[in-house]
Amino acid sequence: MKLLKQKEWSPYLAGTLLGLVYVTSIAVTGIIPGASGAFENVGGLIAQALYPDLVKNTYFQFVMPPGITTAVMILLGIFIGAFVSAKLSGEFKWQRVSDSQWTRVFGNSVWKRWLVLFIGGILLEFGAGIAGGCTSGLAIGGGLFLAPSAFVFIAAMFISGIPTALLMYRRKF
Amino acid sequence: MFEMLFSLVMGFFFGFALQKAGLGKYHKIVNVFRFTDLAVLKFMLTTLAVAMVGVFALYTLGIVALPNIPATYLVGNLVGGLIFGVGMAGAGF
Repeated sequence: MKLLKQKEWSPYLAGTLLGLVYVTSIAVTGIIPGASGAFENVGGLIAQALYPDLVKNTYFQFVMPPGITTAVMILLGIFIGAFVSAKLSGEFKWQRVSDSQWTRVFGNSVWKRWLVLFIGGILLEFGAGIAGGCTSGLAIGGGLFLAPSAFVFIAAMFISGIPTALLMYRRKF
Repeated sequence: MFEMLFSLVMGFFFGFALQKAGLGKYHKIVNVFRFTDLAVLKFMLTTLAVAMVGVFALYTLGIVALPNIPATYLVGNLVGGLIFGVGMAGAGF
């Protein structure tokens, strides 16, 4: 119980828990847990309702069919799990700019943070869509089978992530 | 139906582990690109190691079948990863 209320676990302990989640999920249902696909499933569902022509392509018909899939359930579970974890440790708070490091470096302007979040979110989903997965579904889910795609993806993520952070932080890097 | 509920439970522990590792926080994610906090890497590689050993132990024992492994198409993985990295460093997801 004391462990559950801790604010932060060692990354090795938390990583072990997530590793066991992957093993259990693959063993029981054969599903590699991922986060990004769910957004595309739900996005496709919305597009289907509003602009049916938009989903009449190979991507939505064969790669990421619209619908409430198991990926959506995993994403829903992620929200609940993270919420319970934050509640237990007393970290849960409603905030508009949530990170002290961001405030220290970039100020506490709400629109600035939200704009970067919004654009960053679009880039994340778009990139994950092209690559065939995100950090969870591709980098870990593929990496554990030593799939080349996973390591190409991880390398690319750092190749562009480091200069982006460098540009944003400049001297404070 | 079972798959749906089971996935929800798996997601629960997934989110729990991520939050406990502090990866819900912007600075944890972006600092791995600044090399000031390598928690993301420690977490990711521990997950990889545990999952590899677990899945292949069960596979060798004949208990599990291997699922579809994420496809490799170099240009896609590379370009997608490059776009993804920019978003990750900016948003901090």
